[in-house]
Amino acid sequence: MDVDVFDTDYKMTARGRGKLYEVDHDSLSQADIERVMQKDVDHIKGVLDVDGDSASILLRHFNWNKEKLLEKYMDNATAVNEAAGLALPERSPQPGRSPRPQSTGPTRTTRRSTAESSKSGKTKAILERISPPVEEPQSFVCGICFDDSQTKYLALSCEHRFCTECWNAYITSKVRTEAEQWITCMADGCSLVASNLFVQQCLKKHPKTWERFQELLVRHFVSSNHSLKYCPYPSCTYTVSCPSAASKSSLTSMVPIVTCGASASHKFCFGCAIDNDHRPVVCGVAKLWMQKCQDDSETANWIKSNTKECSKCQSTIEKNGGCNHMTCKKCKYEFCWVCMGPWSEHGTAWYSCNRYDEKASVDARDAQSKSRASLERYLHYYNRWANHEQSAKLSVELYAKTEKKMEEMQMTSDLTWIEVQFMKKAVDEVSKCRTTLKWTYAMAYYLDSGNQKELFEDNQRDLERAVEELSELIEQPLDPEVVPTLRQKVTDKTVYVQKRNEIVLEDTAKGFLEGRWQWNQSVEGFD
Amino acid sequence: MDARLRRVNKEIADCKNDKTSKVSIELVDNSPYHLVGSFDGPEGTPYEGGHYEVDIIIPESYPFQPVKMKFITKVYHPNVSSQSGAICLDILKDAWSPVLTLKSTLISLQSLLCSPEPNDPQDAEVAKHYMTSRSSFDETARYWAVTYAGAPRKSEQGSKDVDAEVAMAGLEKAHVDRFEALGFERAKVIDVLRRLNYRGANVPKISEDRIVEELLK
Ligand SMILES: [Zn+2]
Ligand SMILES: [Zn+2]
Ligand SMILES: [Zn+2]
Ligand SMILES: [Zn+2]
Ligand SMILES: [Zn+2]
Ligand SMILES: [Zn+2]
Repeated sequence: MDVDVFDTDYKMTARGRGKLYEVDHDSLSQADIERVMQKDVDHIKGVLDVDGDSASILLRHFNWNKEKLLEKYMDNATAVNEAAGLALPERSPQPGRSPRPQSTGPTRTTRRSTAESSKSGKTKAILERISPPVEEPQSFVCGICFDDSQTKYLALSCEHRFCTECWNAYITSKVRTEAEQWITCMADGCSLVASNLFVQQCLKKHPKTWERFQELLVRHFVSSNHSLKYCPYPSCTYTVSCPSAASKSSLTSMVPIVTCGASASHKFCFGCAIDNDHRPVVCGVAKLWMQKCQDDSETANWIKSNTKECSKCQSTIEKNGGCNHMTCKKCKYEFCWVCMGPWSEHGTAWYSCNRYDEKASVDARDAQSKSRASLERYLHYYNRWANHEQSAKLSVELYAKTEKKMEEMQMTSDLTWIEVQFMKKAVDEVSKCRTTLKWTYAMAYYLDSGNQKELFEDNQRDLERAVEELSELIEQPLDPEVVPTLRQKVTDKTVYVQKRNEIVLEDTAKGFLEGRWQWNQSVEGFD
Repeated sequence: MDARLRRVNKEIADCKNDKTSKVSIELVDNSPYHLVGSFDGPEGTPYEGGHYEVDIIIPESYPFQPVKMKFITKVYHPNVSSQSGAICLDILKDAWSPVLTLKSTLISLQSLLCSPEPNDPQDAEVAKHYMTSRSSFDETARYWAVTYAGAPRKSEQGSKDVDAEVAMAGLEKAHVDRFEALGFERAKVIDVLRRLNYRGANVPKISEDRIVEELLK
């Protein structure tokens, strides 16, 4: 097989040629979302005959639910304006006054509840007015900083005046510290909301904070829409749209792993909080597993450690690559890193390192041996899960080592840089498959025993074996004599591994669609 | 001078100059950002006659973020943690406004002592006690005020130390008397009832047999 063919094939996979385990999704930039928001704002502006900033506040108050906004607005516009912080209730703190006199009673009513309780009684509609900071002719002392050198003040339409410095500090604190886009007046008990224009004016000299505010508006919009999700990667501003995974119920039949447009490495689950690929297992099971691992972390911590003792000579062996075929430096004993069993048995058909012997726990009679058996059962799966995770983490080192090998190959053979890329492709494939394998152990832990589970574990074993073989090929010391053969072998094996991975992912996804998988305990969404 | 420092200095000065004020603010060390506020327990409450101290931390972004306050003096109150002195009050959280001051916040705390909000509790056990048995709650609150806040012991109130112990544990005197009458040592009864949390809503849930069983251990 030629490298180029493989390359095209790989791309086709990534594009999702109607694969069951891929989900259709789009990536939107911040500007894209802002355009969508603007469309909603324009729509409300037109229907309700209000200005754009008011439309934005109304929409935000109703979490961008246009239908609900229109319905409530038609019903009682005054109450809506009040609740949304666009207008003052009739009886409200007197405008123009400094802080309310020393209160004697605790202010138990929270702002929000005041704002949301629809009070009867007239509201005086106040148009949002934005004017340049006003220079107070008489002595103006800001009720917050008491700085009499501050002469410029700003106020929302409630006329609660504060100096521009304080407004800036307040909005900065709301935006930066609280990540809040809903900014109310600073006066105690006043629930008027600052318009975007007002915020922009206050942050005139702080463009970074203004940018952050705009990002918060986008984030609020995205979080209000079930078919959108903000990319969880640090400082990424992309949003992914995935309507088919918008409902909770859809998550029992698919694993919506998506990638944002900023980078192919920004891979995350649209359905849950795991910011990585957890295919083939559905969100509910992945969550159960993560919780289980957290609860039992102490018992299982030792497994994660990077060193183990050789079971023959007891010398310490450190793992520094992804391959599970270990050879003790001292006694040359070859063993499996995961089960510590002799490696020689792993090649034969009757040996399976991936399957847990359920008989042991069935035989257990008394409670104590039962609980020991259940811990052993868990450790069997956890061991393998953690091992693949660890191997995937070691892939950074593996990449570095591989790169060196690729350079070496160029020197010792007549292969070009392009032609030695097969090594990197193999490493890519191995780390991708280890992610799949890792989660297959979480899946197997919860799968009800029976025919279906056995078929699943057969596929798992085939993939695991292929991955270990490929892993070994790329980690073995380089012999210049055999580079052309190695290239052929690695390339073929990579294609095979990719096929095995495809089978696991595709068959599991199909099983979810058919409702074929049965769990040994209750899983959210399944009944 | 930075805005926070100016503001805090002015607040401290205003408080000092106000001779009629019922609250006071003192510096702990030389930093104006760590203070101790104090006020008297409001009249007509179990806290009357007590003197209450509050630890005050002025955060970096004060007054745009709320001041941090907690009771130093132990208080038996639904909205105050009986362990840590942490306070559940909306103006110390999301209902904070930059125009509120240390003084107005302390006055709000004082008012909180008058009007507990058991539906939004900080200390669930105390709140339960408050809701199910006011007289017993008042007794315990009073005892805490006497013990920790320096409130005068009233003459008609139990002069016997054992009764004080009952109030202290937040238990009903009648309950303790009943089990004592069965022939158990009073101190042991108090200890067991306290451990079983035999208070308020828990009382009907705990059978007498269970208590006797514990007492016999
Ligand atoms: Zn000011
Ligand atoms: Zn206002
Ligand atoms: Zn991203
Ligand atoms: Zn998920
Ligand atoms: Zn060895
Ligand atoms: Zn093994």
